[in-house]
Amino acid sequence: MKSFTVSKLMLVVAFAAVALPGSVFADSSVAGSVSFTGEAPAAKPVKMNADPACKSAHSGPVMDNSVVVNSNNTLKNVFVYVKEGVTGEYPAPAEVVKLDQKGCWYEPHVFGIQVGQQLEISNSDATLHNVNAKAKANRPFNIAQPVQNMKSKKKFSKPEVMVSVKCNVHPWMQSYAGVVEHPFFAVTDATGAFSIEGLPAGDYVLEAWHEELGTQTQNITVAEGAAATADFSFSAQ
Amino acid sequence: MPSMKHRLTSRSLSWRTLSISLMSVAIFAFPASAAQPTPDLSVGKKAYDLHCARCHGITGAGDGVDARKFYPRPRDLSYGVYKFRSTVSGTPPTDEDIFHTITVGLPGSNMPDWKHLPEETRWQLVYYLKSLSDIFEEESEVVSITTPDPGHKGANLKVGREVYDKLGCASCHGEQGLANGTSAAGLVDDWGMAIRPANLSQGWNYRGGKEPSDIMMRFLAGIDGSGMPSYMGTVTEEEAWHISYYVAAMQEQTHWSRILTASQAKQLPGSLDEKEWKAIPQIAFRARNVVDNQGTWTQPPTINLIKLQTVYNDDAIAFRIQWDDPTEDKVGNQADRLALLLRTEGDTGDSVTLQAWPLAKSADLDAHYWVASKAKATEKIISDYNELNGSAGVPLVKSEAQYQDGRWTLMLVRKRHQASVQHAENIEAGDVMPVAFAVWDAGNPEARAVTSWIDVTIHPDVDQHAVHAH
Repeated sequence: MKSFTVSKLMLVVAFAAVALPGSVFADSSVAGSVSFTGEAPAAKPVKMNADPACKSAHSGPVMDNSVVVNSNNTLKNVFVYVKEGVTGEYPAPAEVVKLDQKGCWYEPHVFGIQVGQQLEISNSDATLHNVNAKAKANRPFNIAQPVQNMKSKKKFSKPEVMVSVKCNVHPWMQSYAGVVEHPFFAVTDATGAFSIEGLPAGDYVLEAWHEELGTQTQNITVAEGAAATADFSFSAQ
Repeated sequence: MPSMKHRLTSRSLSWRTLSISLMSVAIFAFPASAAQPTPDLSVGKKAYDLHCARCHGITGAGDGVDARKFYPRPRDLSYGVYKFRSTVSGTPPTDEDIFHTITVGLPGSNMPDWKHLPEETRWQLVYYLKSLSDIFEEESEVVSITTPDPGHKGANLKVGREVYDKLGCASCHGEQGLANGTSAAGLVDDWGMAIRPANLSQGWNYRGGKEPSDIMMRFLAGIDGSGMPSYMGTVTEEEAWHISYYVAAMQEQTHWSRILTASQAKQLPGSLDEKEWKAIPQIAFRARNVVDNQGTWTQPPTINLIKLQTVYNDDAIAFRIQWDDPTEDKVGNQADRLALLLRTEGDTGDSVTLQAWPLAKSADLDAHYWVASKAKATEKIISDYNELNGSAGVPLVKSEAQYQDGRWTLMLVRKRHQASVQHAENIEAGDVMPVAFAVWDAGNPEARAVTSWIDVTIHPDVDQHAVHAH
């Protein structure tokens, strides 16, 4: 707990040191929601028969999460990030991004991480997982985590949206990492909402990425100190 | 880039007049870079186009004209993911790693060794391959192993097995290493092709080499692009050596042959696990999957080796057949199956090639057909495989099968003179009898594996006195 607080504090300090000049109180934000139209695909239960340790970790069936439509007809797990227009340097924050394997399931399913930021991959299961990151711009890696509570640290050296992370032992396990050079990214939540804070005023291209439904971009203009809105809409395929 | 200072070119030294053995002395006597020529991509490209493009494709994308005929598929070299490295997972291989793979090939795959190419050409190929992918802009990070190789005497196989269990190796490779783990069937490579884990009992089929030091490097560095992860940092180096020796000890002795002298006995063994079988010679031979009519692999083969023993007496002949199959399927028509094939009586022509049988005017075959879901194996004359599942044939004298930890053992006993099957082969003393096999793994239903013909010699009943009289 203590180390977490410290790293948060360091993040704030680091961020302030870099992003402050020129735009001290003028940071803006962009927020919005990703809606879904059409018929939501029927949720399919994942067959975890290959490993009894996985099946026994869940009381009921686990549903495939490749397309998650929220109750308000929005999409979860959409990676939204500023694709173009960011100027300036944004060094990686000290905060560690965590990817856990629990119940033979990745948590989170979709996440963002900055270039050079520490990624800690841990195995909460008492079974073998391998973490196979099929990066293309970055170094791919495939490491074993055979022992419960094992942790491995990795960094990505180049921007790449997205890096697919898979486990060969349990082929249903899938996670995606959006590697970006700056901190202006977010993942939609259970209400389909996203919010990107601290963006300097300017013109940007915002992209929304979904693993099954593809990508969409839109141009946005963010005024100084203002909160811009950007909504996306994906439809059933 | 290799050092320019050490280069030896064909001009400065008349390499070609030196013998091969001198060249290999040179490799060991000097650092590896001493033999490396100045990179010249045009030389490498020429050699690549000539030797490699046929499988790996013009651009290196693994899509050459022959690519689809192979399992495993040729590597996509433009992707820059190399299986056999001495470097940390995700980092590029060293020049020496690529040179080594070109030089020794990948056992058990269609990648041959290229020792016959001049060393300089092999280095130029290394440089050319590196130009095909951006990955080589990254730094290699060599796996450092500081704990010395304990050797066979220092290795602790018991600890090795404990590590094997602790690390979950069995989830792919199986409890006994026979590639029958629970995750074995669902594996795909980075290109989405179905792949299978290595059968650890088959040392001859380890692509990266079967020695403990080879296994150690695969264990630590992983096999990138496949499901085999890097186990670096999961156990101590001592433990890594122990598991490497343990895996090496899982390899079985294989007596490769296409000739088997049938043993002779007064009485045939009564069962497949009777101790008499221990004294009866066993040979091993390859089973190869039949590709589809487009010449394309659809699924990785699961059956690639058959082991055979045979013994006969005055009345009958017994065969004991073993093969590894990752799944025991013994229900209905989709059960595991095997056909032991003989030529029909009086057929003295060339044996047909089972890879292509039946052709329009193929000879019939005398099939002894075992299906895991049925109590008795039967014999019938067939002109096509699909006749095997038709009307039942004549039951054999005995058939007994056992499935254990990824391996079938089957014993078939047949009368030497099978009067109830018209045109059945009569097995006479003095015969050289060709025997072949077709095997189906119901867990891999598109695949039928066949063997070439094995000559089983039935020695005449030798009169010892007559021998001495000569």
